[in-house]
Amino acid sequence: MWFFRSPEVVFGEDSLSFLSNLDRERFLIVTDRFLATTTLPGLLKESIGSNRQFMTFAGIGEEPNEDEILSSISDIREFNPEVVIGMGGGSAIDSAKIIYALNEREDLTPFDITPLEEIGLGKKSILVAVPTTSGTGSDCSWAAVFSGSKEKRKNEVASPEILPRYSILDPSMVLSLPPEQTRNTATDAITHAVEAYGSHWRNPYSDAMAEKSLELITGSLTEVIEDPTNVFHRGNVHVGASMAGMAFSNSQVGLAHALGHALGARFRIAHGKAVGLFLPSVVKFNYGAVKERYDRLNMIFPKKFRKESLDRTLTSYFLAIGQAVSVKSAGLDGNEYALLIDEMTDLAMESTGVLTNPADSDKGRLKEFFGEVI
Amino acid sequence: MAKFPSDEWVSEYERMINQSESYKEAGKTWEGDILFVVKPDSGEGEPNYIYLDLHHGECRSSRYVHPGEEPPKTQFRYIGKLGNWKKLMNGEIDPIQGILTGKFKLEGSMMKIMRYTKAAKVMVDTVSKVPTEF
Ligand SMILES: [Fe+2]
Repeated sequence: MWFFRSPEVVFGEDSLSFLSNLDRERFLIVTDRFLATTTLPGLLKESIGSNRQFMTFAGIGEEPNEDEILSSISDIREFNPEVVIGMGGGSAIDSAKIIYALNEREDLTPFDITPLEEIGLGKKSILVAVPTTSGTGSDCSWAAVFSGSKEKRKNEVASPEILPRYSILDPSMVLSLPPEQTRNTATDAITHAVEAYGSHWRNPYSDAMAEKSLELITGSLTEVIEDPTNVFHRGNVHVGASMAGMAFSNSQVGLAHALGHALGARFRIAHGKAVGLFLPSVVKFNYGAVKERYDRLNMIFPKKFRKESLDRTLTSYFLAIGQAVSVKSAGLDGNEYALLIDEMTDLAMESTGVLTNPADSDKGRLKEFFGEVI
Repeated sequence: MAKFPSDEWVSEYERMINQSESYKEAGKTWEGDILFVVKPDSGEGEPNYIYLDLHHGECRSSRYVHPGEEPPKTQFRYIGKLGNWKKLMNGEIDPIQGILTGKFKLEGSMMKIMRYTKAAKVMVDTVSKVPTEF
């Protein structure tokens, strides 16, 4: 028994207007503090219709912790939303998943969200994701990541019941995404596709999503970087990122994520930048285990970036789009990095990516990866 | 060759876990005992139990719980049918995938197990190295 889980996806221009068809009254919008200052929440509300009731919870920061996510939960329960919308990047959408669960079941804590038991969600409301970045894949996943309140650890909880019912991929939500974030989030998506395709848990559905997502992203990303307002190419990268999300949430990621999460726990670095930093080394290490698969992915890259192997193609591609390929080019302090390698290695060992990565590794090998990107 | 499960099999397994450098590393901070529950494929008859007390990268004690004996209370129980244990030992499925696909049931904190997937994998890899007959 295995599954392919996915939200119902609404994509393309004017997708937001789909929300106006929902026969529901009370809409909760969960978003982050930065987005709350932009025109996007207004655009979303306008698409849903002014005759509805809205509550906006914009208390989410870059790396939300439990306290932050649940700071308004009693007001939210009072409002009693029928639709919970997570609008934003991964943090806002993941936070919306937790709020959705805890609004439905007042007796739960975030840690009670587990795939092992039926939670019984969806009785009061539905969950909708409106991503405003193209990369995290959170709109398609049934996991939620949040920081610990005390410990500097990232917690991941998961349940098929926190998979959004709808994912709305409207290019208008990403047209103003700044270049740096466009690159980082797309790099995250590329890493999702590559890691999902090699994972021990891969399956025909995740394979199909991974291949197509890579084609869409690499076929349009450089065009988006050149002309950020190009709706066609933005749309391709947006859909591609969501497909990469479906790929990995149905087959898991690998060592680049294990290492990237560990790096992200100790340094302030964008998630996509962190995982992308390790991806070429990880692919090189895995090559023997999944050669045919990597060669197939390599052929998907546009010819002008393609080298003789996928790891080299990735490096050349990252250089071409201006993505960091070393600790130094990622802007991190090399001395501090060297001092924290042992600690980060321990953290990386705790990740499930170690289990699902195509080639087996041990602590010594993980430590080497940290050295390879200096 | 040791029959799975039996006293002989369990003591051989404990010996091999304690010899494993990678388990020592991956389970370095793990604390907690676990009960492997091997249910008969037919669904009829009593399950077999294997008790393991794992602490900081070593197996402090282990035993095969004989039929008719009351199994000890443990922090974790990992429960599956014999046929699925065989699949696990052959490397056809990994321990976490076993839970998500319904072949195994975990009683205890999934959150904790998810932080020790490498240790869980080494435990299973070690199982497959014990010369076993079923
Ligand atoms: Fe990621």
